[in-house]
Amino acid sequence: MRLKSAHNIIISPVGDFTTDLLGPIRDEIKRIYGYPTEVLPLLDDLEFAYHPNRNQYHSTAILDQLALKAPVDAIKVMAITQADLFIPILTHVYGEAQLGGKACIVSTIRLNEGHNALNTQEPFFSRIIKEAIHELGHTFKLRHCREHTCLMHYCRNESDVDRKSDQLCRYCKILLDDEIKRLVK
Amino acid sequence: MNKIKILIVDDELIMRESLAGWLERDGHAVQTAASGEEALEKVKETQFDIFLVDIKMEGISGLDVLRSVKESDPEADVVMITAYGSIPSAIEAMKDGAYDYMLKPFDPNELGVLIEKIIHHQEQARENIYLKEQVKERTRFESMIGQSQPMQGIFNLICDVAPMDSTVLITGETGTGKGLAAKAIHTNSSRRNGPFVTVNCGAIPEHLMETELFGHQKGAFTDAKETKKGRLELAHGGTLLLDEIGEISMRMQIDLLRVLEDRVFYRVGGTQPIEVDFRVIAATNRNLEEAIKAGVFREDLFYRLNVISFEMPPLIQRKEDIPLLAEHFLYRFAQETNKPTDKISREAMDEMMLYDWPGNIRELENAIERAVVVGKEREIFPEDLPIFCHEPTPAKRANSLMEVEKTHIQQVLVANQWNIARSAKILGIDRSTLYSKIKRYDINKVA
Repeated sequence: MRLKSAHNIIISPVGDFTTDLLGPIRDEIKRIYGYPTEVLPLLDDLEFAYHPNRNQYHSTAILDQLALKAPVDAIKVMAITQADLFIPILTHVYGEAQLGGKACIVSTIRLNEGHNALNTQEPFFSRIIKEAIHELGHTFKLRHCREHTCLMHYCRNESDVDRKSDQLCRYCKILLDDEIKRLVK
Repeated sequence: MNKIKILIVDDELIMRESLAGWLERDGHAVQTAASGEEALEKVKETQFDIFLVDIKMEGISGLDVLRSVKESDPEADVVMITAYGSIPSAIEAMKDGAYDYMLKPFDPNELGVLIEKIIHHQEQARENIYLKEQVKERTRFESMIGQSQPMQGIFNLICDVAPMDSTVLITGETGTGKGLAAKAIHTNSSRRNGPFVTVNCGAIPEHLMETELFGHQKGAFTDAKETKKGRLELAHGGTLLLDEIGEISMRMQIDLLRVLEDRVFYRVGGTQPIEVDFRVIAATNRNLEEAIKAGVFREDLFYRLNVISFEMPPLIQRKEDIPLLAEHFLYRFAQETNKPTDKISREAMDEMMLYDWPGNIRELENAIERAVVVGKEREIFPEDLPIFCHEPTPAKRANSLMEVEKTHIQQVLVANQWNIARSAKILGIDRSTLYSKIKRYDINKVA
């Protein structure tokens, strides 16, 4: 069943997440993308995407479900999970997004140096926020950026994430503005 | 920047889609093909930069796609995608020209690094082609001048050699521009932003060579009041030119060989090993193979240096470059000396073309400098070129190159009242070389 919502961005936590983390993510999404943002769990679990051979979760399958369950009026929907994600061709991913689509997902486990328990300390929080903004950026058609300090820069490891800023570069900002204008039309 | 065009060829839909999605987020223009047949159809319509091809496919196999792609577009790079069981096929693919192979599933970082590496390699190859095309009709390359066939060959060779990090040995007579060639290699290499350090092995006395190369620690010897970095350390990250390598002592050859092998050395009096990373270019006017036979040059050092080698042609083999070089030097020295000289007379040019220039470009350079300084007119005439004032010219009378050289040195020495510094400058050689030639040819000062 589809839920109803205003024109906003949905953060959909899967598993235990406190407002300590979800609150700052919501604020940052609002600051960067300008849309009202709310927290709304849409998936009860990720078992449908679990692959026992890899002991990981197939992120593309999760995105398909997420897009199906997204409220009709939601502009974008972003899931957040502590599960380890993969796409078939790669060993793992930090997250995945439908380029120019509706859904994206970010996993916290590899941003936390592989620990399962949710870490509430810095720089872990900042890393999750940055990668959440990053994955959401793909749904606004933004691609990876060469600028090392830009939020859309692809990071190979945690220290790369720590090095990048909490801002989009000028070039990505323009592309984002163009896409938002297009969506408004 | 243009998007990199990538074609993914895999018969598994899920693999194609996941890889395509990943690469699209990286900003690349990605297309997919579900079979070898479809891939070859797409190749007819689009020129791809990179192919990611699964080895095991029904029908046209990945290896067939590779061979076909490399045949139609040798510049394209093909990466084979393989599972553990297909590694032997992947190795076979490498022999057939595949750039690399990756085992499924890929580590995302390794994939990113590989794609970046291919892009960088293709950019370099394009730059190289561009550089060669620029050079083709050019009479200048870096600080080198020449439109002759031998020099165009040298320019092309430098373009090929520069991007590699291999050691280069440049041979050629004195004054042929070995130093300029070394500098051009450095400037066109990835080390271009690093230092270019020259060690003139023939000019540094043996007892100073060790500290000059390796530096010294404060207190290493009586005069070592401060710690000093040697040339090897100063060349870190850049290129080290070992000029006149044939003149280096046997003892220093051993030390140098050790550094070139280990890339580690100690300052004189130092206890801490210093690691260095530089490219070595060696230059010599001596025949090192003969020096090895004579027992004055180590064979192992020779092979260490002689990875890539080329010879700078003597001026006599590129006479058509003389007018261009002469004009260049005329302009430069007229500017430097603030003189109005701006022309070389036809007669002077004819004389220059007839002369054999045993001192090569350096001798020509010095002759023009002198002509600009002593000339009274705006134009240079034969009488302004002192080397032509002695009749008959030795080259026309003598039987061998050695005799020509001996006679010419004798004449220059007499004309300059045996002033060694001035004579060496006119001859375009170092004073130490002039001394050794005087000794070798047994030239005596006649009262």
